[in-house]
Amino acid sequence: MGEFSIANSPYTYINDSDWPSEAVGVHHVVVRKSFLRRLCVPLTAVSLLANSVYLFLVKEQSVSVLCWSFLLTGFLLILSLWKPVYKESVIIMPAFGVQLETHYSSGRIVRSFVPVGKILKPVLLECVTPVTCYWSLSLIVRGEEELMLVFKELHPPLKILVPIWKALCAAIDYRGKPDAFREDG
Amino acid sequence: MTHAYGNRSGVRYMTGGLKVYYVPWRPFLMQNTLPTFYGTLPIIRTILIRERISLVHGHQAFSTLCHEALMHARTMGYKVVFTDHSLYGFADVGSIHMNKVLQFTLADVSQAICVSHTSKENTVLRSGLLPEKVFVIPNAVDAAMFKPAPERPSSNDIVIVVISRLVYRKGADLLVEVIPEVCRLHPNIRFIVGGDGPKRVRLEEMREKHSLQDRVEMLGAVPHAHVRSVLISGHIFLNSSLTEAFCIAILEAASCGLLTVSTRVGGVPEVLPDDMIILAEPDPRDMVRAIMKAVSILPRIDPQVMHDRMKKLYSWHDVAKRTEIVYNRALKCSNQNLIERVSRYLSCGAWAGKLFCLVMIIDFLLWRLLQLLQPAGDIEEVPDFILPHQHQESEVLEDFKEQCLG
Repeated sequence: MGEFSIANSPYTYINDSDWPSEAVGVHHVVVRKSFLRRLCVPLTAVSLLANSVYLFLVKEQSVSVLCWSFLLTGFLLILSLWKPVYKESVIIMPAFGVQLETHYSSGRIVRSFVPVGKILKPVLLECVTPVTCYWSLSLIVRGEEELMLVFKELHPPLKILVPIWKALCAAIDYRGKPDAFREDG
Repeated sequence: MTHAYGNRSGVRYMTGGLKVYYVPWRPFLMQNTLPTFYGTLPIIRTILIRERISLVHGHQAFSTLCHEALMHARTMGYKVVFTDHSLYGFADVGSIHMNKVLQFTLADVSQAICVSHTSKENTVLRSGLLPEKVFVIPNAVDAAMFKPAPERPSSNDIVIVVISRLVYRKGADLLVEVIPEVCRLHPNIRFIVGGDGPKRVRLEEMREKHSLQDRVEMLGAVPHAHVRSVLISGHIFLNSSLTEAFCIAILEAASCGLLTVSTRVGGVPEVLPDDMIILAEPDPRDMVRAIMKAVSILPRIDPQVMHDRMKKLYSWHDVAKRTEIVYNRALKCSNQNLIERVSRYLSCGAWAGKLFCLVMIIDFLLWRLLQLLQPAGDIEEVPDFILPHQHQESEVLEDFKEQCLG
């Protein structure tokens, strides 16, 4: 059982497995709610209150001011609810496969299972977007053209991805495939 | 770092462990991305921090990404080197604007590199840069790839090879005048023309008009890997460019043992020794005279001797060593704060100077804002990754894992 969080990063890593006793390996990455996001709910409440007071007290106002105030409130509301991922998990069962889970704040859980026979290799890749660059852990799946992302919503840092990648490699290796550990650059 | 080419996007590793970032910005004109001024600041900052960069080297005055990257690098305090590969004019509207942009970029560059002395003169005049800051490092040729044919093409015909983009700048119009005249004067000469471009139509028309289909062969675009095989099928290489900062093509031809005939423009006279090249004015009559002279001295040329001389004169190792000296000099330049740097821009012109200052100040403010929103400590550094040989694989992986986990 291991847990660590990284300074300056909103992610915490929790390891529930008791490897190497060949039991199931469970890895969680939990999102700590950032300070800004925690402010959003009270800010929304304050702005709604201000809106209603304003409407009540001031009789004449232009339509545009009304619209802008509602838009602002709506925006703050969306910001506080948007990207509601609370946790993403990887459950590694060496003999069967890998289960990927995404837990949302609303309670919804999205799960997907990849049988061990279909996984060719887990790879750590750098993804480049027009504004940023980050590491991602993916699985090369037999028969699929696209890589399957292990963490679909979150972008955990490399320090969190490496132990999970090691565990995935060990699980794949365990089933007796002759491929050596190799990182794709 | 460059922009994405079609599907080629993301991070790739080249031979020797060179890491290339293909940033998914779409090129909109002539392989250039849209100039966004500040749009590239986030990704450039991320790459410079995560790769622990000490120095940024930009190439080519026509690249918008280059100018933006150099501007952002200067704002963030990195040392900057710029290499100019081409000559530009002063007279037309496009050149005037380009020169102003160049003046902006080079106002604050640590060092600059040009590929020939002519190019150095041109760059210094266009940008107002101090000549002491400009180094001249000529390009080189891969002598291992461009070797002469084991045996010379044995026919009675003399084959003249032309490989260039068929555009105005490369003198395609001169070729249209020169080729029929040479074919008329010397019945044993054949031409091989490789390359494609808007002027290809004119060359095809010329072939039709003078019925030279059996004496002029048009190959179309030649991939770089096949250039050597085209070159070794000839005896003489003809270059008719109207402007050229350096011209690697004639280096490749000389390395393959061909005698070169070229127009005396730009940096071309600096490239080859006088006995390997015959120069002519960019005028059809003078070029025909030069070709005839080349034909007469052809029997005295030994391709292997020429190749050995080229191997000694030009090598990429030498270019790398000299570039390293420039880098060391750049790194020794003093750090300057915003006020000192902004004062350099003011001297660029009455209106332009103030505009440049404004651009740099906004860039500085945006950088500070970005530092607030995404502190440098949040951007994790990439571990050093050395490409493994076969037996070292597991050691490299262990090393990588150690670096990642800190």
